[in-house]
Amino acid sequence: MKTERLTRIVWVNRVLLSHYRRHPLQAIFLLLGLTLGVALWSAVELINGHARTSYADAEQFLGADAHFWIRPTGENAAVSQQDYIRLRRLGFVELYPIIEARLQTREQDWLILLATDFMALPIADAQNNSSETATPFVGDALAFMTPPFQTAVPESLASELGINPGDQLTLTNGQRLPPATLQSRPQQGERLVVDMAAAFEVLNRDNFDYLGVTKLSASREQALRQALPEGLILTRNQQSLDLQELTDSLHIQLAAMGWLAFVVGLFIVFNAVRFSLWMRQATLTTLREMGIGLDDLALAIALEALFWSVLGTLLGGGLGFLLGNLLLPTVSSSLGSLYGAIITPTVTLTARHLLQAAIMTLLGVTVAVAGPIWLSARRSIRQQQHQTLDQQFQPRQLGVQSLSAVALLGLAALYYFQIDSVSDGFVLLALVLFGSALSLPPLLYGAFWLAARSMPASWWRLRWAMRDAFAQLPHLRIAMMALLLALVANLGVSTLVGSFRIAFTDWLTVRMSADVYVQSATLDADALLTQAPLKVQASHARTGLNLRWQDRPTEIRGVNTQAPDMRSLPLALSEPNALSQWAEQGHLRPILANEQVHHLAGVNLGESVSLPTDTGTVDFQVVGFFHDYGNPYYAFYLPKATVSQYWKNAQPMGLAIWLQDTNLQAFEPDLLDAGAEPGDWIDQRQLMSVALQIFERTFAITGALNTLTLGVAGVALFAALMSIHQQRLHQYAHWRALGVNQQEWLLIVGGPLAGMVMVTGLLAIPLGAVLSALLIADINIIAFGWSMPLNWSWHPVANLAILTTLTLILTGLTALWRVQRQLPNALIRLGGTA
Amino acid sequence: MKTAIALFIGLLCTTAVADNEFNLLRSDASGFTQVSPGLELSFPADHLPHPDYRIEWWYLTANLTDEDGQHWGIHWTLFRQSLRPEPDPGGWQSTQAWMAHAALSTPENHVYDERFARGGISQAGVELTAEGRFDAWLDDWQWLGTGTEPLPGTLVFTVSETRVELDLSSQTPWVLQGDNGYSQKAPSGQASAYYSQPHIDIAGQIQHNGNTFQVTGSGWLDREWSSQPLAPSQPGWDWFSLHLSSGDALMVYQLRDTQAPNTLNGIWVTPDGRFSSLSGDQITLSSKGETDVSTRAGTRKMPLRWSIEVPAHKVDIEVSAPRADHWLDTLFPYWEGPVSVTGSHQGKGYMELTGY
Repeated sequence: MKTERLTRIVWVNRVLLSHYRRHPLQAIFLLLGLTLGVALWSAVELINGHARTSYADAEQFLGADAHFWIRPTGENAAVSQQDYIRLRRLGFVELYPIIEARLQTREQDWLILLATDFMALPIADAQNNSSETATPFVGDALAFMTPPFQTAVPESLASELGINPGDQLTLTNGQRLPPATLQSRPQQGERLVVDMAAAFEVLNRDNFDYLGVTKLSASREQALRQALPEGLILTRNQQSLDLQELTDSLHIQLAAMGWLAFVVGLFIVFNAVRFSLWMRQATLTTLREMGIGLDDLALAIALEALFWSVLGTLLGGGLGFLLGNLLLPTVSSSLGSLYGAIITPTVTLTARHLLQAAIMTLLGVTVAVAGPIWLSARRSIRQQQHQTLDQQFQPRQLGVQSLSAVALLGLAALYYFQIDSVSDGFVLLALVLFGSALSLPPLLYGAFWLAARSMPASWWRLRWAMRDAFAQLPHLRIAMMALLLALVANLGVSTLVGSFRIAFTDWLTVRMSADVYVQSATLDADALLTQAPLKVQASHARTGLNLRWQDRPTEIRGVNTQAPDMRSLPLALSEPNALSQWAEQGHLRPILANEQVHHLAGVNLGESVSLPTDTGTVDFQVVGFFHDYGNPYYAFYLPKATVSQYWKNAQPMGLAIWLQDTNLQAFEPDLLDAGAEPGDWIDQRQLMSVALQIFERTFAITGALNTLTLGVAGVALFAALMSIHQQRLHQYAHWRALGVNQQEWLLIVGGPLAGMVMVTGLLAIPLGAVLSALLIADINIIAFGWSMPLNWSWHPVANLAILTTLTLILTGLTALWRVQRQLPNALIRLGGTA
Repeated sequence: MKTAIALFIGLLCTTAVADNEFNLLRSDASGFTQVSPGLELSFPADHLPHPDYRIEWWYLTANLTDEDGQHWGIHWTLFRQSLRPEPDPGGWQSTQAWMAHAALSTPENHVYDERFARGGISQAGVELTAEGRFDAWLDDWQWLGTGTEPLPGTLVFTVSETRVELDLSSQTPWVLQGDNGYSQKAPSGQASAYYSQPHIDIAGQIQHNGNTFQVTGSGWLDREWSSQPLAPSQPGWDWFSLHLSSGDALMVYQLRDTQAPNTLNGIWVTPDGRFSSLSGDQITLSSKGETDVSTRAGTRKMPLRWSIEVPAHKVDIEVSAPRADHWLDTLFPYWEGPVSVTGSHQGKGYMELTGY
């Protein structure tokens, strides 16, 4: 009995699937929708997951646990070898030395060089892992640790810099790094690694920047604290936790874009499934007439759905993996430059990823298949025989859609006042987007109905075209909704990025007004300023330290209140005379904070902040908030004297110099004379370009995802047009038989299409503006704490208009070509059936 | 004869190690000084490092007993390796590298640790202190002589939170292995400089799991340096150092050979320190079956029971390891642990099995 049923279902399945042999395009579109949607979504998930795993890696250093750091304080800029060896000989074998140096190559690339003693590095879990992973001696260890040494360069960095194995990078000071070898150690990220002996030689040093410390029990931690010499402090490595918290917003934003792409992809699937079922209605009816029960039919369709989802999983998951690897470098470089997160350069495909992709495709197919099946399964055989696709779409449905649209938008309006997290913000965006999308079909109907009515009777061709829109709309409404979503998202995000670019550039121009920035351990700043008074117009030497406030990394900066960049400090929000109040430092201890303190920590103007100082917690009154784009941390500015009063261990933080005439080359000899070394300074132009580079990189991923989503929407439109013509071919044959010529046909069929796209595009403009306003005024502030004015530009609108028109023409031409090719056949069949 | 050799190889290259971790012992030693016949050892100078030779070690094993009669086994080794045959510039670019192993056979388990350090930066070394005392150390593991000699001296180390502090002394002279300290390892000429102290009296304490145990017993120190001690066809060796109840000490080792008969050597030391070398034809060494030993890489079959016959000294004994769990999964893994002696003589000792 059971085998009989099985055979029957297999047989039904073969009948059902045979449809795709005659209509391979439908199969292709179905798969394309599934694959693209799932691929984009899973690429983003993969990147997010990978980045989050890498944050856990922040508790490790090149394969060794790094639960604590030992850092120098106060006057000590480094950890001496003597102190390190003394601690080792006291039995603190949990320690290992680290140099982390920022270098500039002769080609002006900035690179980070890491060095440690690989003989002493306590590789984690050496006792539990296999000896291959546990051994510190990866690769040719002897060559790595003996002259002429080697520089481990990750492959991605090597190809970016054009480095071949054996090449030696030359630094601005003329020193050459050891020959490159292409290899990447755990947590190396996009950084160079050399042995400590090589670093000492290249950097001309004999001390360490800090020490790494593996896991410590409470008693060991206590013992180590007591054994530490004056000038060294033990701090817990909290980077992993910090990274998870700080990058959360960025990941939510990426995830939101992934979901958008998935939904747009789903629209294609939905359309394709609807069509394929509709076209197989005759088959379904015949099957039922032959006595196949509804349950068997449903099972067979479910099996077909399963077939598509398995295929979709493999293709979507695989493509997502490729795409993830393609997009990862962009994401990791922005995570690196914004948050200092080290992301390993390749994403690996995991079972979990494939499972996720499978769940998503299954979900997609189910959503797309369930509705149509439900409808067609419930109809009686009789009804089905006489149904055309036009009738599937009824005014009642229009009403439901309009009501849902109004409901969603109303909900969005209410929700707007409730948002206080990034996730909330995206829920709001989803409500706005889908509310708008749902309102599109009723709007289109209304527009065409009005257009047709308002035309004089003599314009019959145009009126025909307007009425033809009603025949096309059922097929195209989903594609139009997808297009609307993609256009709105694109406009919104372009405006956000554009506004941010303008705000950021303006801000940089004010903040980086000095001509040259010097960061040097050897420079005698006083000597420089006294020796070249005629060349220097102004200077600004800052001090600073990092501490934790509200459980986040926080920067305290001691600044010169009279320096040019401070006198014109752009404040987002301030009390009257904030700058002069702050410079004078009255008894309320006025302080300036970055606007992150306002938006993320919830501190208002005039309120006090309690900061941990050397002598305990001290209250400062916030008199102004300054813009601090790109900084993930809280930051406070105080006059230099105040900082040194409360924090003895504040360090020099570089020197900014305004020159009398901007000829830096003439000033360089003075810098050298005062003890600075080549490579210790950077001019304003270079610094600006580095900052802007980081900015562009950060938004490259957004741009890429946006374009891809628009591409998916283009495919949705194309797929819909293809099916529509397939289905209406016999109609066109009728028209042709009635004497409608090609131009007339184009007008009647193409006119409404162009009209629909136009209405969609026009609707996308205000919606895009609303979206960008929400992104800039709400979500961006909640996510990063950066406020900026909205800068509307017609540029992206024009771009999108051109892009959409091109897509339209392309799909239109292809459709036309196909119709032309198939029409003779259709005419013959028409003759046959007539 | 020691594992030691094997171990350092790791420093050299993993690709070779992946094949066989003992490759260094067979590789071309050109550039390094070779141990040659006619060698003359002089003390205390030869207790200190010989950086012109590729490898060298200070290797102590000991069987101790606490007040409750419980057995404790000690195995502590400092290895030195010359990374390249050129004058040592010292500092961070030093040609010297150090590795140490410490293993402890407690009444209930076997714990061990390994450490590495580069030479030239004072993290590890063997030298005379400013006061002229023998000092061999890596981090806080330290063997400190009271004078220029390692004996008498103290050995202090911590492994897996168990702290060991031992006073070491001996009344008998150094035992020169092979031909006056020249120890040939293969017919083709591979050799090492090799001397030992088989009669070390030990007293000290072990702090373990919150208790302090007073321990006494006897230990065996091996000193060896070489530039190429193994022939390419020798995959490993079996080494035994035994303290017999008669007060005599017996050392036997065989270098297994895949292409020639195994190289078999030994030495017999009387309680007052007189010694005579044993050649291969004076010794019969045979394995009495294999035991499963669990390692990280899976279960291995190891010969943990042996029979040794030395007719010249009326020795016909069975040597067996009471506990199989003495596999060291260090960077270069091997078996090393206490053994007990039965048969014509009773006794205790240490056994080392490599290349399995």
